[in-house]
Amino acid sequence: MTTPLLSVRNLEISFRSGGQDIPVVRDLSFDLSSGEILGIVGESGCGKSITALSLIGLVPSPPGRISGGQILFQGEDLVQASQARLNAVRGNDISMVFQEPMTSLNPVFSIGEQIAETARAHFGLTRAKAWARAVEMLALVGIPSPAKRAHDYPHQLSGGMRQRVMIAIALVCEPKILIADEPTTALDVTVQAQIFDLFQELQQKIDAAIILITHDIGVVAQMTDRVMVMYAGRKIEEGPVTEFLGDPRHPYTRGLISCIPRLSLPPQDHPAPLFEIPGVVPAPKDLGRPGCAFAPRCAGVQPRCHTETPALSTRAPGRAVACWLETEDAL
Amino acid sequence: MTAPVLEVENLKVHFPLPGGEAVHAVDGLSFSLPAGLAFGLVGESGSGKTTAAMACARLTEITSGQIRLSGRDITALQGTALKDARRDVQVVFQDPYASLNPRERAGAIVRRPLDLLKIGTPAQRDARVDELFALVGLRPDQKALFPHQFSGGQRQRIGIARALATGPKLLVCDEPVSALDVAIQAQILNLLARLKADLGLSFLFISHDLAVVQHLCDRIAVMYLGKIVEIASRRDLFTTPMHPYTHALISAVPSPHTAASRIRLQGDPPSPINPPKGCRFAGRCAHAQDICHRVMPTLIANDTDHAVACHRAHDPVVAAARTVLPRSAQSA
Repeated sequence: MTTPLLSVRNLEISFRSGGQDIPVVRDLSFDLSSGEILGIVGESGCGKSITALSLIGLVPSPPGRISGGQILFQGEDLVQASQARLNAVRGNDISMVFQEPMTSLNPVFSIGEQIAETARAHFGLTRAKAWARAVEMLALVGIPSPAKRAHDYPHQLSGGMRQRVMIAIALVCEPKILIADEPTTALDVTVQAQIFDLFQELQQKIDAAIILITHDIGVVAQMTDRVMVMYAGRKIEEGPVTEFLGDPRHPYTRGLISCIPRLSLPPQDHPAPLFEIPGVVPAPKDLGRPGCAFAPRCAGVQPRCHTETPALSTRAPGRAVACWLETEDAL
Repeated sequence: MTAPVLEVENLKVHFPLPGGEAVHAVDGLSFSLPAGLAFGLVGESGSGKTTAAMACARLTEITSGQIRLSGRDITALQGTALKDARRDVQVVFQDPYASLNPRERAGAIVRRPLDLLKIGTPAQRDARVDELFALVGLRPDQKALFPHQFSGGQRQRIGIARALATGPKLLVCDEPVSALDVAIQAQILNLLARLKADLGLSFLFISHDLAVVQHLCDRIAVMYLGKIVEIASRRDLFTTPMHPYTHALISAVPSPHTAASRIRLQGDPPSPINPPKGCRFAGRCAHAQDICHRVMPTLIANDTDHAVACHRAHDPVVAAARTVLPRSAQSA
């Protein structure tokens, strides 16, 4: 196996609050290879989005900071990199599509200008060439009559079209890694399907790796190769998507998969009540004590779960889970 | 069978624009909701589903048409008569963060409809609030807390308790779980299902999420650009969708089963300001013919109460294209 494109090692991200550093992501390690689609799932507040932001040096600082670990992009540690170096990496090698296409675009510039700006910043193209490149990108993401629409402002476009523009901006430099944070939650289901088709086409065309952050298990099933489940700032399970869906090991993963109503064809006549994960995600400040963070919500909780934090144990290459029940199983 | 709790006839809600034009948000909607059932209204954003629901609760001005609640015409009610009718129809809103008064304690929020509609004595109202808190799974001591002290799921429970306070016959739920976290959605959906079974409530349930609608609703209407294109029972809609748009919508839901047979819709819906005069879906429909662009199809029900508004619904070619979906899902 070659060295991974991206290798995150023991990453810790903290936020300063009330005179204390509160870690929101702890001891997080994962790898990403070219052409791979990695899904990150978990409820809000599990650290998914802040992990994504950290990869492109966008942890809001202060109050946040990367308080430990390494982010190795092609062997280079981005945690130690200068702002200038990060500016070069951002957009060029690693780029991001944000959740809200309604608010992520600048309302006072035409969409053509916003795409061209990125091209000029990274490639030093002339205005004319950058504009031509912008039109080309709009065509690539499937916007009809791109030469004409490039002059449009964000408010003239529908949600799906705006998200395509965001993707065009993210892809204009042909990044090696595309991070998509809930890229379709604001969109309708038929538009979502179009955007995902586009992701898959683009991934094949430029062999980019994609990190897809989502809470939609259907999206995970359809789009990803590998899945990482996060809870309260830690990775608690990881594995190929087929095993994630077919043989989830962590009680939280099982809960996440079965608590969501899934479209069944043909439909059941009397759908059974949904599985409920009781309670809510704990606040980061409540996580100082030892023990598994999921223990208060877990149906299979053991005395040990409250006193010792389970480590991530590898069951097979690329397959790991952090749960005492699993460790005892394996013994 | 008992009388329908809600009957909607040719409902139109147009929002006038400067210059004499209007947004045709809801444009000729007719359906009836039998008592004790959950009726789902699905569609994409801009299809008019929320406007339709708000019109049914008399929360938006109605341009034309008629709304009957348990047989009584409420379309033009005003003043005390309207207040009186509101006892029977209450709303659970989408955003539990925006729909609760931040300065009011939870107990007072739930009690408010009883105060406004002057139901019961003050002591009876207090007792009713206690009952409602228990019903939706909140602790009595939480009555004294303010909305910001609750999680999203708990806030939606408060919203549901408030809607149930007057003992309504019909509960209008406008995307009640779409603002909630995944694990919390299950808690609220289970609560709604339990209320439906225990209290015999009827639901008008608005959602863009087909899986949620399939889970909770007995009958489902699919809306597209202000019109209903198909109404059917849950089983019929998901096993034999008759309208090409319904079929596309079902196949667009991401799942390992539907990926292969996905219908790729091109483009966006047309503008509701000057909607096309023929079928509103014709511009994106793979089966559209000349007639579809010229003549608006009407909603026609078959003998199993499965209604569809499509000129080509019974065309063998179109019917053959439709069957792809259930078959591939069963074999997977």
